[in-house]
Amino acid sequence: MFDDPVADLIARCAAQDRVAFRTLYRDSSAKLMGVLLRILRDRTAAEDALQDVYTRVWLRAGRYDPARGRGMTWLITIARNLAIDRLRARVETLDSEGIDLVPDTAGRAETRLVAQGEARRVVDCLATLEPDRAAAVRGAYLDGLSYLDLAARHAVPLNTMRTWLRRSLLKLKECLDR
Amino acid sequence: MTDTPLSPRDEDEALAAEYVLGVQDLPDRTATEARIKADPVFADLVHAWESRLADLNGDFDEAPAPDLLPRIEARLFPAPPRPPATPIVRFSLPRWLSGVAVAVLLVLGLLTLVPPPGSGLVAVLATADNRLAYEISSRGDSLIVTRTAGVAAVTGQVHELWIIAPGAAPVSLGLLADQPLVVTYPVPPVGWVMAVSVEPAGGSPTGQPTGPVILTAQVTGGA
Repeated sequence: MFDDPVADLIARCAAQDRVAFRTLYRDSSAKLMGVLLRILRDRTAAEDALQDVYTRVWLRAGRYDPARGRGMTWLITIARNLAIDRLRARVETLDSEGIDLVPDTAGRAETRLVAQGEARRVVDCLATLEPDRAAAVRGAYLDGLSYLDLAARHAVPLNTMRTWLRRSLLKLKECLDR
Repeated sequence: MTDTPLSPRDEDEALAAEYVLGVQDLPDRTATEARIKADPVFADLVHAWESRLADLNGDFDEAPAPDLLPRIEARLFPAPPRPPATPIVRFSLPRWLSGVAVAVLLVLGLLTLVPPPGSGLVAVLATADNRLAYEISSRGDSLIVTRTAGVAAVTGQVHELWIIAPGAAPVSLGLLADQPLVVTYPVPPVGWVMAVSVEPAGGSPTGQPTGPVILTAQVTGGA
């Protein structure tokens, strides 16, 4: 990979460099806040999670391996995992109002990513899925929708949702790894 | 549609993808997390899915983040012990409050219990009569605080958990409600003190304990 300033900062955090930690927060917190806010849909919860995300980043910095991916990807993985853990820990109820609040984002990822001239493959491969299945993959990844939410949104039984999402994911993999 | 069962290899692939997407409910997600820790081959499948889907990250918009660095740093890097007291006595609100807290503690006669050994148990905070108790255990990078006896604070008030490094000011770890509190924090070193104070709903307005400290315990064993 080319230069990856975020990866360098994480490596310095692993070496207990607190100045690097501050710079990392300044440079990446807006992006992570965006992730947390989109998934948790609540500012207080997102701010609380942000605090835990950076605590975790500092504590786990030594485990980051630049060979495995870019620094920002690693940070977003930590933020997404924490947000989804929090979301799932909330009482799982079918809250159709909450689900309606989630904007339908179909199409946005493609446009933007194509504009960036990267990620063609995931875009192309998502396009090989039926549109509602591609939308389910996006809704889960970007909005933190659970099987329960997806089943409600697509009006299918939970097990059906699960079967067809799993099949779609395997198809996606086949395409992406080609 | 006919559903031929997935091969074991595809089952694992699908499970890894489900985990990365985050669609599972909490019990399934927790079980998958345990598998990631125990099974390096499966963990590699998860990492591969993280890379495959990472291209979607471009769709997350940035959002203004408040400056939480002071709070994060206070948690991670508690202030070093203060230099020996100078002859000039200055009024220090936190110090005065901790004096009050100790006095209240003595008056109430609430006792400090200390951590039994055991897997992950960091400290037990309990009153002498055991009518109110919190257990603090450690799992991975997190502390989990569970009320094991008694009830939450009355309406309009809340129990707040503090950690106090030797010689440093207390640092809030969060509010204790009915759900267990999970907070990212390493296992505190031996000799640090955990405390619970009663605060107005929403937590201490000052960032330091303002209400009576009702429970304290020193970290002794460690996991």
